[in-house]
Amino acid sequence: MSRRVMFIIVVMIVVSPLFGIVLANMVGYHEPLDVAAEKLGLKDRTAELNWTPLEDYQVPGLPPIPGYMASGFIGVALILGVGSLLRRLAAGRKS
Amino acid sequence: MLIGAPAMHIPDGFLSPVWCAATYAASASYFAAAYRRLKAGLNPEFMSRITVLAAGIFVAQMLNWPLPGGTSLHFVGGALAAILLGPWAGSLCLGIVVTTQCLVFHDGGITTLGANLLNMAIIDVLVGYAVFKAVAGLGGAGGKRVFLAGFLAGWLGIVAAGLACGVEIGLSPQFPYGVEVTVPVMAGWHAVLGLIEGAVTGLVAQHVLSRREWWRGDRL
Repeated sequence: MSRRVMFIIVVMIVVSPLFGIVLANMVGYHEPLDVAAEKLGLKDRTAELNWTPLEDYQVPGLPPIPGYMASGFIGVALILGVGSLLRRLAAGRKS
Repeated sequence: MLIGAPAMHIPDGFLSPVWCAATYAASASYFAAAYRRLKAGLNPEFMSRITVLAAGIFVAQMLNWPLPGGTSLHFVGGALAAILLGPWAGSLCLGIVVTTQCLVFHDGGITTLGANLLNMAIIDVLVGYAVFKAVAGLGGAGGKRVFLAGFLAGWLGIVAAGLACGVEIGLSPQFPYGVEVTVPVMAGWHAVLGLIEGAVTGLVAQHVLSRREWWRGDRL
């Protein structure tokens, strides 16, 4: 990954709580699908079936804003980790 | 209620078991075909492009723009991935994003992962790619035409994904009123919010395709 791309991604992660938490709380955010689902009378069973401590892009023990930021870094690290694995697989097959 | 969840991730409980199984089967079949198509052309450099774009789209999806009235919009990126990587690789890119969101952050249900992959990593990507290719052609198009093609690809891709989402929910017995209610709600909602998706897709496609040789490589 080039430094420029890495810089852009880091900046986006750092500012993400402003959009995902601060402004969301200001306007009383609801996910669009949830708004539609409420109109349609559907029941979300997310709370009944959870498997991860990082639900809602939050990290246990961290306040919401740093937790949201940390989730961004965790997600990017995992995706790049998967990418690294796939790169090696692709390189191994080509050689 | 999810704090920062993207706009189209179906949670557990919205789809019937039959639809969950059917969408898992459809998505698995598609990705098996994609793997067969991709494996000959994948190389380490191309894999890097896929995962770097996946990381960027993952973060972009965290940037919700709350709107007065209590909803929000954000970039989904299916059409952009298709434009920059091609349809199969674009689906792989969005597949990595959607699966990470589901498994790590519980963004979208585990029973509905097949449906979420179908909507965002397959339908959005394929419709976006088809629209872009039809309007711009890949290569040789001017900047304004690339923007227009990207705009229409992003917009129609997200509308198609929303429409599919409406069909899946409407045909599930959990919702008693059927597709005649769910499809207009979902498609209409995403037709409005999708205008921003289209604008972002058009601008980014225009910028990247005109300035970065890196993105002019393979498309699979």
